[in-house]
Amino acid sequence: MPPRRPRDYAIIDTDIHPSVNPERVPDFLPEPWKSRYRSGSRGPGVLGYWNPAGVVRADAVTLDGDRIAMDPVLLGQHFFDPYEIDYGILNFEGAIHAGVGPEPDYAAAVISAINDVAAHDWLPVDPRFRASLNVAPNDPVLAAREIHRLGDHPGFVQVMMGSGARIPYGQRFYHPIYEAAVAHDLPVAIHPGNEGVGITGPTSAVGYATSYLEWHTGLVASYIGHLVSLVTEGVFQTFPTLRFVMVEGGVSWLPPLMWRLDKNWKGLRQTVPWLEKPPSEYIQEHVRLTTQPIEEPENPAHLKQVLEMFDAGRMLMFSSDYPHWDGDTPSFSARPFGPDLRARVMGETARALYRLPAEPVSRPAATPAEAADD
Amino acid sequence: MTEVKRNRAVSPIPVAKVGDLAPGEMRLVEAKGHSIGLFNVAGDYIAVLNVCPHELAPVCRGRLSGTTLPSRPGEFIWGREGEIISCPWHGWEFDLLTGKALADPRVRVRRYDVVIDGDTIAVVV
Repeated sequence: MPPRRPRDYAIIDTDIHPSVNPERVPDFLPEPWKSRYRSGSRGPGVLGYWNPAGVVRADAVTLDGDRIAMDPVLLGQHFFDPYEIDYGILNFEGAIHAGVGPEPDYAAAVISAINDVAAHDWLPVDPRFRASLNVAPNDPVLAAREIHRLGDHPGFVQVMMGSGARIPYGQRFYHPIYEAAVAHDLPVAIHPGNEGVGITGPTSAVGYATSYLEWHTGLVASYIGHLVSLVTEGVFQTFPTLRFVMVEGGVSWLPPLMWRLDKNWKGLRQTVPWLEKPPSEYIQEHVRLTTQPIEEPENPAHLKQVLEMFDAGRMLMFSSDYPHWDGDTPSFSARPFGPDLRARVMGETARALYRLPAEPVSRPAATPAEAADD
Repeated sequence: MTEVKRNRAVSPIPVAKVGDLAPGEMRLVEAKGHSIGLFNVAGDYIAVLNVCPHELAPVCRGRLSGTTLPSRPGEFIWGREGEIISCPWHGWEFDLLTGKALADPRVRVRRYDVVIDGDTIAVVV
């Protein structure tokens, strides 16, 4: 192994996608769902757009052909170790899709089983692992019950829902979820990918996208819709300690969206009298974003300018999206950030949000010689 | 009521008679070439330059009303009837009593002192 490059910041990866072993899910399902799941009727699936790269990277397998993201030991050895990830948030593949199935009881049961697999098969294996606690958002009472069931488990550090939704996340319909999350001191996160799946409605406000390219690019529309809804509906006044994490929704759209929102608010303030300051101020206080897929303008200086247009040091958190096709490595992600921002973005903002220990855990795979390099 | 609200050299321009304006009404007047909105706010006369600081719209031709007061999410409390002017172009609300925009107190409409002498209302321009 080549010697480690010295690094003066921690790396906390806020978006990693392991897959639960589908054979394990029925072990945590009651009947009739256990038999149903085993029969292959697992949930709404995906829309099925064509991505020639595949969604999971072709190289995310060992030389023996084992899929790295399906095995907690392999994930530690082949991803956390080489990239020196101090902590990583596991967002299990498929959970946001299962969560928007049309049958609320089945959706909630499968989601609970996925959470149980995470708690039994993943979190105990590697002390660097943390996980999102998935919920099925279309039945907020069941979702809140799931948060109360596992919300105090130290391995679950946030509540997770898909950004594909029936109605915007600021609406009072979802209050039980936020109430339960803040009761357990958990941020609430959204992740894209279930747009158009299950009962979420079309992939964007104009209808169904035709290609993966169109669908994937347009996912940002979900984020804009949810964010504006959350702020204008006063969710952050009703739940003042709530933190909302927008995972993998892009970054560069945020500053102009905040300008637009603030400008409109000046004239329409009286329709949302509970907002006592420009809406962008609530966003910068309560909302966090993850970096991947960071935009790559032709002129890299333009991205640096965007990062000056909002409080990136307070809001942005590194994410790799491993093992997905469009992931970013830590070194690539750190590139646009100067020394003033780099430590915050690569780890410290996430460490504070998720209340992770100040020191990295000892790496299980490190040899004594490597450990001496630290 | 005879009052000069601020202490400075005055040259009051007569613009209306007492009784021309009922409480809650506005009349556009002209003084030294400026278009000015003269408001009767519950018996007090307030003069505002008819120019919005944002895009120079005729702000005084907008809606004169109350507004929603600070509240909890989902709650609407109406108040300050007759004290708020909303610009017709982008809806910015201004507090007639201070001139300040409700959304941003750093921004304000220009107010003029009003002098009442007998039944003559004059603005100090």
